[in-house]
Amino acid sequence: MSPEENPSDLAPHRFQKRGFSYERAIKYFFASNAGLTIVILALIIIFLLKEGLGFFPGYQRELQVYRIAGLEFVDISRKNLTAHEQLTSVLNRAYYAEINGRCIKQMRRSQEASALFNAYTDQTGPTRDLVLNNSQAASSPNSEMLKNLKANYEQQKAKALASLTATPHLTQMERRDLIESVRSRAVNDTDDPLFVTTLAEEFTAAQHKQAEPLQALRSTIDSFSSAGSELSSLVSEMTESVIATKEKIQGADILEKDRKTLLAAASGAKDPVEREKLMTEARTSLADKPDVEGPIQLLLEHRPDCIKAHTALRDASTRIIGQLPSSLTQLEAARLLKAARHSWPFFIADLEKTPAAINAWKPDAPVPLTDSISSFLTGKDWVTGGEWQDFYGILPLAAGSLMISIVALVLAIPTGIGAAVYVNQFASPWEQSVVKPIIEFIQAIPSVVLGFIGILVFGTVLRDISLWDSLQWIPGFPLEERLNIFTAGCLLALMSIPTIFSLAEDAINNVPSAYAEASEALGASQVQTTFRVVIPAAFSGILAAVLLGFGRVIGETMVVLLVAGNRIKIPDFTAGLGTFFQPCHTLTGIIAQELGEVPMGSVHYRALFVVGILLFAVVLTINATAHRFVNKMKH
Amino acid sequence: MVKTSTAIQINNLSFAYGAKQVLHDVSLEIPARQVTAFIGPSGCGKSTLLRCFNRINDRIPGAKLTAGSILVHDIDINRTDIDLQELRRRIGMVFQKYNPFAKSIYDNVAFSLRAAGRTKRSVLDGIVENALKNAALWDEVKSRLHASAFGLSGGQQQRLCIARAIANQPEILLMDEPCAALDPLATLKIEELLSELKKQYTIIIVTHNLAQATRCSDNTAFMYLGKVIEYGSTMQLFENPKEPQTEAYVTGKFG
Ligand SMILES: Nc1ncnc2c1ncn2[C@@H]1O[C@H](COP(=O)(O)OP(=O)(O)O)[C@@H](O)[C@H]1O
Ligand SMILES: [Mg+2]
Repeated sequence: MSPEENPSDLAPHRFQKRGFSYERAIKYFFASNAGLTIVILALIIIFLLKEGLGFFPGYQRELQVYRIAGLEFVDISRKNLTAHEQLTSVLNRAYYAEINGRCIKQMRRSQEASALFNAYTDQTGPTRDLVLNNSQAASSPNSEMLKNLKANYEQQKAKALASLTATPHLTQMERRDLIESVRSRAVNDTDDPLFVTTLAEEFTAAQHKQAEPLQALRSTIDSFSSAGSELSSLVSEMTESVIATKEKIQGADILEKDRKTLLAAASGAKDPVEREKLMTEARTSLADKPDVEGPIQLLLEHRPDCIKAHTALRDASTRIIGQLPSSLTQLEAARLLKAARHSWPFFIADLEKTPAAINAWKPDAPVPLTDSISSFLTGKDWVTGGEWQDFYGILPLAAGSLMISIVALVLAIPTGIGAAVYVNQFASPWEQSVVKPIIEFIQAIPSVVLGFIGILVFGTVLRDISLWDSLQWIPGFPLEERLNIFTAGCLLALMSIPTIFSLAEDAINNVPSAYAEASEALGASQVQTTFRVVIPAAFSGILAAVLLGFGRVIGETMVVLLVAGNRIKIPDFTAGLGTFFQPCHTLTGIIAQELGEVPMGSVHYRALFVVGILLFAVVLTINATAHRFVNKMKH
Repeated sequence: MVKTSTAIQINNLSFAYGAKQVLHDVSLEIPARQVTAFIGPSGCGKSTLLRCFNRINDRIPGAKLTAGSILVHDIDINRTDIDLQELRRRIGMVFQKYNPFAKSIYDNVAFSLRAAGRTKRSVLDGIVENALKNAALWDEVKSRLHASAFGLSGGQQQRLCIARAIANQPEILLMDEPCAALDPLATLKIEELLSELKKQYTIIIVTHNLAQATRCSDNTAFMYLGKVIEYGSTMQLFENPKEPQTEAYVTGKFG
């Protein structure tokens, strides 16, 4: 700036600006508020990155130890062993599904009778125990009190008998007799009612009868199961030795870390005496380098045995697949058998590749940093706090989050958009004034309350419904887990419907009425106008609504923590659509659940931060994209 | 006034938006295949009257006919058994602010045909071309029929709206200040177009521009405060008005 442009150098004049104006003060106040939010956001990002990025070197070291100690070597065999166990379990499930399917009637009858009796004992149990415990001679029963307890018990009993579960597969008479026999039980009777045991026996008998024609299958499964025993014992033998090695290395790592801390303290100490003391201490704590060479050599000597066990297992598996029946009569059993048959070739192919992998494995191959990154992003296991090896692979969590979102969006998109279209285009003013606030009110329900409802009402009801005979064709029914992807998805759908509804309704409302007017003036009906003119014009806004709904779903924590079932495993996709009825864990849920329990600064702690960063990035991207669509609509 | 057959006959029409009475006892006879202009100061009810003819006012909650009737080719259009879609197919409308849909030029013109269930591509092609030719737009857009309508200039967009309104061969064309949002050159083009279109259509045009009314219309109605003050041939109304209010308005003493 040249001197003559600088106002302070000029002579005072008529329009001279004086002092610090009120207006400027107000402007600065708002500017500082806006600035503050930006600074806070920046601080959050910096904090996340600082805590999170330390994860990758830490995880790299863990993976290094995993290799050096030989755990990785053992896992080559263990992986096949697990696959073998899974296949065995699928076959067993198919076998029992076949048997139980064939005697479904007896099974249902037995289940219903014992469910009825169990419901009764659950309700009356506590009061009954009180009566029993206090009527023993040793407890010097007080007659007045005993009378009260007994009355209490009778009351509870009457209440329980009045609210028993339904038994659609028992006849009216059987049900009445069963209830009567329960009613007339002595207080101290511990046996099950005769009818319950009879039905159980009938069921067992039926099972035995149905098992007869399936004997061939049974022995095939058994021989497959025992084909893995050689590998299994080998693995457990090697496991012990590698764990010992790993502990040694970890101990040395800790000592080394302490020494570094001491050295750092020493170089920082001002007093020479103090410094000398710390230095000596550091020197003495110098750990002897743990011997890893010896154990590894011992481990590698197992190579021929491993290869032999794998070859044997492969031969057995190739033989056994030919002995399995091509199909089974019961739907569920046939599905499971098909799943097993489907994964069989992959299993055998893996076994075939294993000897080469065993021979190629080297304990001293380097573990680059990129390995820790790729193992985080594409790892199929999230295992923490175990004594074997911690893995931080986000696929199970990402899969859980994604599948819940799919369920939620599949339910919420049609509902939310449909409601928005209806309310904006077709509803009478009266309907509008009722429906809109109600849908928007859902947003006001705290998510933890929704979680409650999810567990207690929705989960239970859904599970009861899944027991209905007429719904057994639905994959995944009857539900194995009350809390699963589907229940969580339904609740999240409920939470995201208001978001999608409001934003989509806004988008439709923002379409200039000139469009609708022009369309009707051209002879289009109201429905044609809505679907051919208004919705296409609102399309990007509606898309933004869907995206923001997705952002809400994927970022939601409380409901999924309470309702998703929290099993950290990639869902088993062999179940087909039934996959959606399995429990899962999520990106948000894992942070909420584990962050409070992990030691600060540990690799696990940092892993959770990286998950947080990832979530942050995903939600940010979704929102940014949504805003792009909104802006596009304005033009 | 040149007497031909009557396209629209309005008998003692009164119209209200809710409690607000806007038209009072309006009676007019609009001849077929001529251009009739509605003039008058802002807010006098010209658009309201025009919008009664295709009952597009039905969209506005509370808007209702309080007395009188409108006959289009001798049929009372406020009967309960009127098929509104069919009525509007017979009576096209062009609005003050050009408002093509967010679709291609082609899809805009074909809109009314598709809404009427005519979807055969070969038939549509011919009709779209014809409508665009009649709206004097074909040469300017024939190379980009499937480009967005928003890429056109304002005048072109308004002519597209005219093409869209005449694609289904209506009998009557309603135009509510079609040039109000256009520059003089585009206005001129539309005016030229009007003289072509009146050979085929009965045209009713609302305009603020007195010169435009004299240039384009055969008959003119002067409205004031919801009433038709004077109605007659354009020449007579402008050169020899009978009512003092009309005279004041056409000589620019108020408006
Ligand atoms: N949708 C509406 N609701 C209520 N009043 C309206 C509406 N449209 C127009 N009016 C009123 O009706 C009167 C006539 O309006 P309009 O027909 O648009 O006049 P013009 O087109 O002659 O300028 C005006 O007073 C206007 O305020
Ligand atoms: Mg107007």
